[in-house]
Amino acid sequence: MKSGVERKSAYHVIALILLVIMAILFIFPLYWIVTGAFKSAAEINAAQPTWFPKEFVLTNFEKLFSRRAAPLFQFGPLVGPVVPGAIRWLVNTVFMSVAAMLLTCLTASMAGYALAKKRFIGRGLVFSLIVCAMALPKQVILLPLIREISALGLYDSLWAVILPTVGWPFGVFLMKQFSESIPGEMLEAARIDGASELRTFTQIVMPMVKPGIGALAIFTFINTWNDYFMQLIMLSSSEELTISLGIATLQAENATDFGLIMAGATLAALPIIIVFLIFQKYFTQGITMGAVKG
Amino acid sequence: METCRKVEKVPLFLGEGVRADAVRLRFTIMATLNLKNIVKTYPGATEPTVHDFNLDIADKEFIVLVGPSGCGKSTTLRMIAGLEEITGGELYIGDTLMNNVEPKDRDIAMVFQSYALYPHMTVYENMAFALKLRHMSKEDIDKRVRWAADILDITSYLERKPRALSGGQRQRVAIGRAIVREPKVFLMDEPLSNLDAKLRNAMRAEIIKLRQRVDTTFIYVTHDQTEAMTLGDRIVIMKDGWVMQIGTPQEVFEHPANMFVAGFIGMPQMNFFKAELIHDAAGYHVECNCGRMTLSERLQKALAEKGYESRSVVLGCRPEHMIMKKDADNTTMKATVDVSEMMGSEIHLHLTCCEQDVVVRIPTTELEESQRGGLTFGTEINICFPEDLVHLFDPETEENLL
Repeated sequence: MKSGVERKSAYHVIALILLVIMAILFIFPLYWIVTGAFKSAAEINAAQPTWFPKEFVLTNFEKLFSRRAAPLFQFGPLVGPVVPGAIRWLVNTVFMSVAAMLLTCLTASMAGYALAKKRFIGRGLVFSLIVCAMALPKQVILLPLIREISALGLYDSLWAVILPTVGWPFGVFLMKQFSESIPGEMLEAARIDGASELRTFTQIVMPMVKPGIGALAIFTFINTWNDYFMQLIMLSSSEELTISLGIATLQAENATDFGLIMAGATLAALPIIIVFLIFQKYFTQGITMGAVKG
Repeated sequence: METCRKVEKVPLFLGEGVRADAVRLRFTIMATLNLKNIVKTYPGATEPTVHDFNLDIADKEFIVLVGPSGCGKSTTLRMIAGLEEITGGELYIGDTLMNNVEPKDRDIAMVFQSYALYPHMTVYENMAFALKLRHMSKEDIDKRVRWAADILDITSYLERKPRALSGGQRQRVAIGRAIVREPKVFLMDEPLSNLDAKLRNAMRAEIIKLRQRVDTTFIYVTHDQTEAMTLGDRIVIMKDGWVMQIGTPQEVFEHPANMFVAGFIGMPQMNFFKAELIHDAAGYHVECNCGRMTLSERLQKALAEKGYESRSVVLGCRPEHMIMKKDADNTTMKATVDVSEMMGSEIHLHLTCCEQDVVVRIPTTELEESQRGGLTFGTEINICFPEDLVHLFDPETEENLL
């Protein structure tokens, strides 16, 4: 008969094997894209696929960056230097994701704090509406949203993608759960110390809900970056395209140039991987804390 | 309003390790408090949480609000702090009506039960926060923080975060955060109830010492009668939102205004007996189910002055005043021991006497050698009331008759 310790280590081994298999399954497509980006057209289309590029070629990236020049940025009269289209797409996507992230974090943490710690008429109703809104699929509100955005004259601008994400109900919900954990006495102490509402929020509440804000920031950043659907609906002119839309246009024009598409996909995936590596701690914290509290 | 200037010598830290006595000037404003007919009713509640609270607090007085949970003591303190709106009545600090003044402008500081230290700030930053908000210069903030840290002996933790401190140290920081502001009134809401018994006793002594050093008006809320008795110049005993009695610790102990106060103050609780007060030619005496007692001359006189006739009363006697007698006589009552608790210097006897539970405290020095470890279950003993140290209450109103 096996001892408890042996059984335990056997479980660990099995768990480890399963985890390795899962990790390979998830990492493989990424590996295929990144290595594919450096393969020649002949190697990609070869009947016998290769695990590793026989020779590293940069032609795919050269092609990607030689296409469609556009100014780096355009803010009213401010126009940046002309760069390859792919770079512009990347800049657009970064701007869109960062703006959506910052605005969402700001509004959600304020709304979550108010819902958790302030007493006002209709508080319960507002919170119920927010929870209900969480259950609504995006497709349901899409038409009214497009009309609203058009009426505001924002259609085919990055703000058409940014603004609808800012009132993200899940963000408000998450931040409310985090704000609940702030003891009321702490806020009263701040009030007696002479802190204004704004100072209490920025210097006491924000630092205390920092893990929540971190998790929310990474959620919104990744969601906005990856939200192909909204980008496809709201953006159309080639200057305002995001990187995922841009890659799709490559596919339409050169149906079989997989090397070019993989180079574009590598470019699209890189920033998100970097962001993830930086905020990994908050990401896992956010998921587990959200799971416990929500 | 009277402004008095006070000069005191307070040790200050001058740079690292250099300690010198510096003369510190403090301009203190007289901090009297007047609470007039204060009422608190929460929205949606039918009954007020605090009814008609009246109290005048002298400058530098230490007032303790005490009572069981839900008696309105914390609500009253929070109204003084400005954290709760006052539904009715007037609150004056000094000569200023404070009902609608923001907490920060009331010149008060508060210590909370949970300490409420800001977890992301160091001890130093916690203590400096309120001063920064008042736009004090960095040097002045530093001086004040180090002065307070020195008083509370927390100088070596100044750079630590609250989570790296023990409960007692956090408590000191919470007090430090309040004293750096040199407030007119110091409010404390059950500051010791999160500490273990040993630390609580130590901190209680610290608060007495602190009071001598910071010398300001204190209002302290607790449910612990020991804290109330040892700290307060005067105690306010509350129940269900009503003030039951206001008095010095000695007053409330010796002359409880009603049965609630009599039962609440004193450990173990006072014994109560249903009895009859008899007034005859020989004067007053009291008869209960299983005995009769004569009253002392002082009590006789007091009863006669109020002109009481024969009537039903509740007789109250504290466990430590009950007398155990070796031999039975016409004043003693028979009692059987249920539980005997050895407390070290004394024994608490839980007895059945007159078909009710009675508690008696007896110093071990008054017991025979064989009884010092405690009395066994079922032992029969004789107890009697002291002639002078009993209280008589009205059975209907529960008020003290004298």
